[in-house]
Amino acid sequence: MANQPEVLIADRYAVLLAQPMPEAGGGLPAFAVKDRQSGDTALIAVQVRRDLPPRARALQNLAVPIDGVMTPLAYGPAPGPRGEAGYFVVCPAPPGPPLTGHLHPWPEAALIAHVLRPIALALEKLAARGVTHRAIRLDNVFAGQRGQSLVLGSAWAAPPAMHQPALFEPPYSAMCHPAGRGDGSIADDVYALGVLLLTLALGRLPLAELDDTAILRRKLELGTHGALVGDERLPPLIADLVRGMLAEDPEHRPTPTLLTDPGVARSRRVAARPPPRAQRALPVGSIAVWDSRTLAYAVATDAEQGIAALRSGATVQWLRRGLGDSALAAKVEDFVRHRTTEAPTEESKSDVMMLMRVVTAIDPLAPLCWRGVALWPDGLGPLLAVAAGDPAMTGNLEDLIGVEAAASWAMLRSERCDYSALRMEARQQRAWLGTRGPAGGLPRLTYLLNPLLPCASPLVADRWVGRLADVPAAVEAAIAANPKAVPLDPHLAAFTAARGDSRLETDTNALTGTRQNPVGIPELRLLAQLQLRYHPRPLPALAAWIAGASGPLVALWFNRPRRQELADRMRVLAQAGMLMPMLAALEDPAGRNADAAAARQAAAELSQLDAALGGIAAGAGQRRDTAARIGQEIAAGAGLAALATMILLAVLG
Amino acid sequence: MRSMAGTPRRHSLVWLQGLGCGAVVALVPAMALLLGVLLLPGVLAVLYDRQGGRPVARTVLLCGTAASVSPTLALWGAGNAMDAGLALLGDLRVVGTAWSAAAAGWLLAELAPVVTLVVLEAVTQTRAARLRAEREKLVAEWGFDS
Repeated sequence: MANQPEVLIADRYAVLLAQPMPEAGGGLPAFAVKDRQSGDTALIAVQVRRDLPPRARALQNLAVPIDGVMTPLAYGPAPGPRGEAGYFVVCPAPPGPPLTGHLHPWPEAALIAHVLRPIALALEKLAARGVTHRAIRLDNVFAGQRGQSLVLGSAWAAPPAMHQPALFEPPYSAMCHPAGRGDGSIADDVYALGVLLLTLALGRLPLAELDDTAILRRKLELGTHGALVGDERLPPLIADLVRGMLAEDPEHRPTPTLLTDPGVARSRRVAARPPPRAQRALPVGSIAVWDSRTLAYAVATDAEQGIAALRSGATVQWLRRGLGDSALAAKVEDFVRHRTTEAPTEESKSDVMMLMRVVTAIDPLAPLCWRGVALWPDGLGPLLAVAAGDPAMTGNLEDLIGVEAAASWAMLRSERCDYSALRMEARQQRAWLGTRGPAGGLPRLTYLLNPLLPCASPLVADRWVGRLADVPAAVEAAIAANPKAVPLDPHLAAFTAARGDSRLETDTNALTGTRQNPVGIPELRLLAQLQLRYHPRPLPALAAWIAGASGPLVALWFNRPRRQELADRMRVLAQAGMLMPMLAALEDPAGRNADAAAARQAAAELSQLDAALGGIAAGAGQRRDTAARIGQEIAAGAGLAALATMILLAVLG
Repeated sequence: MRSMAGTPRRHSLVWLQGLGCGAVVALVPAMALLLGVLLLPGVLAVLYDRQGGRPVARTVLLCGTAASVSPTLALWGAGNAMDAGLALLGDLRVVGTAWSAAAAGWLLAELAPVVTLVVLEAVTQTRAARLRAEREKLVAEWGFDS
């Protein structure tokens, strides 16, 4: 595909692919944009990665712009700079450069006026629309023009918090898989804002010398405030605000509304004590554990070692004697004992479930930890999308959904989440996962949980197929390019089932196609429905393919001349490119019934003929006897006739 | 039981036949001689035909009897005299005709079943061919396993 200098989004925004803006996308590729209606050029388009779905709810809820945030103006598919299938989110351009390269200590007044207040106000408005930002970090916060307020960058073109470094995320989010952090809450944005405030107050990045894992460990061991602030000297107001904003418990952090009045916000003091530390360390895998939250992290990230430590009793003993927390020790002991008395079925799943429960008991703030993967339940969708190419991760997530782990996790921390809603979601997800047929299972669930994820079918890999309306044309083009391909693979079926209504869902649930017999009546019905609804124009390549592959369907008819007639008719109909008449010709219930009845009658006639021919073959002896009898009668009759004639002649003289 | 029940009836017929023959020999010996010679092939056929109902002997006898009507009437017209009977027997045409008729009856009795069988087979094979054609048509039209 030839590279184009510009592509259009929403028939209005021209993305200038030749003008990349590497610093404007917060780590994602970005390009300059020109509004063809207004002539405005202060716009950018952030490119979406194919396997990282954009945030559908945020894009939907942010139709009206918010000051201080690069809110989305439009979004849609268009070819990327290398001609690849792309998707862009158009936003206002940042007013200045990102903060990354311009770090210097900010005075307190500037921090309040240009950082805290405007961003808190923006977060307040985001929260009012039910959206979190989850991308407040140095390379995604931009300087305002000539001393004006900072502006939050685009955070809509990738899963929430996907590109956040551990420094800007609370520990319970930083320990998650980057794609599984979920939307979180506005308190998580407050946390990131607190880190931003601290960074700007210091004029440098805290813990810059540590990697993400080390930063997370440090935060868990010392608490975020202790780990990041330590003995640093901060302006009093900033120090008080940061202490509250970096509270471990999101419920203890000030709300954005409160932060718009820093004087009031600082008055809400939060104790930032480091967690209790044991007298001796407990080794779990490669981690020396000194406190309970690190213990939860250690057993969650190294499931095998964690299970071993729990089953050996060392963990309970350490909690009781080393950490002096008998209540927690008893709780963990209960979980372990309950596990050992369970029926010995699904051994590994039971261990993983026990581990998840123990982690939640030790650290109520912790995310759902399942066999070494940590995630928030609302991050399951993006995580499934990312894990599509990783069979081990996919298997883990399938188990997680299959046992409704999210419901069990929510039950253990019901005071911190909406248990009934999570339980319902878990059940629904399990039901979707259990949907049988080519259109069911994990692919379908992935598409259902990611409304903007494009179809991952290899058949349409060169296109961004994000809506059902895109499917017919994409399949037509794919079949035209490669007539040997099969037009409805499991990914396309799952995508159609996830994006379609109940009627289409019925059609997709009925799919039965196999590799040997890829197109049956249900497949053809689905393709015909897609054409009828979304693409009422001829699809000649697809129709020709179906005509060519309709042999098994034609063979369902018994009458051979009718088959030939039907095959000829399919070829004629294929030239028109409309699938519905082809479906009607193949389906034809009345004709099929008549054909079946005639076939039954023909079978009966054949049986009669076979019986008659069998009788003939077996009747040779009988015929010989009959012939002998008749011949003898004839001979006797002839003799009698001769005698009668002679007597008559004699009488007549 | 069936054989015991059937045996006396056959014996009674034999006795009747014997009685009839004895009466003829006693009352009209010339006639008996003439008929005995003329119907000799029939008598031999009766003796040698072992089929049920003796179909060959029956035809041979009927044909022989048909050829014997004229000599019998001639002897009857001559008063059943022994001379006339011997004269008739001396005439080769009379004996030849009677025996030729018997031979023709034997030939007829042998050939008629064969000819009938040929005709019957021809009819049957024609019908079988028609049925096979119908079957092939059905198989071709409906794709049944042949």
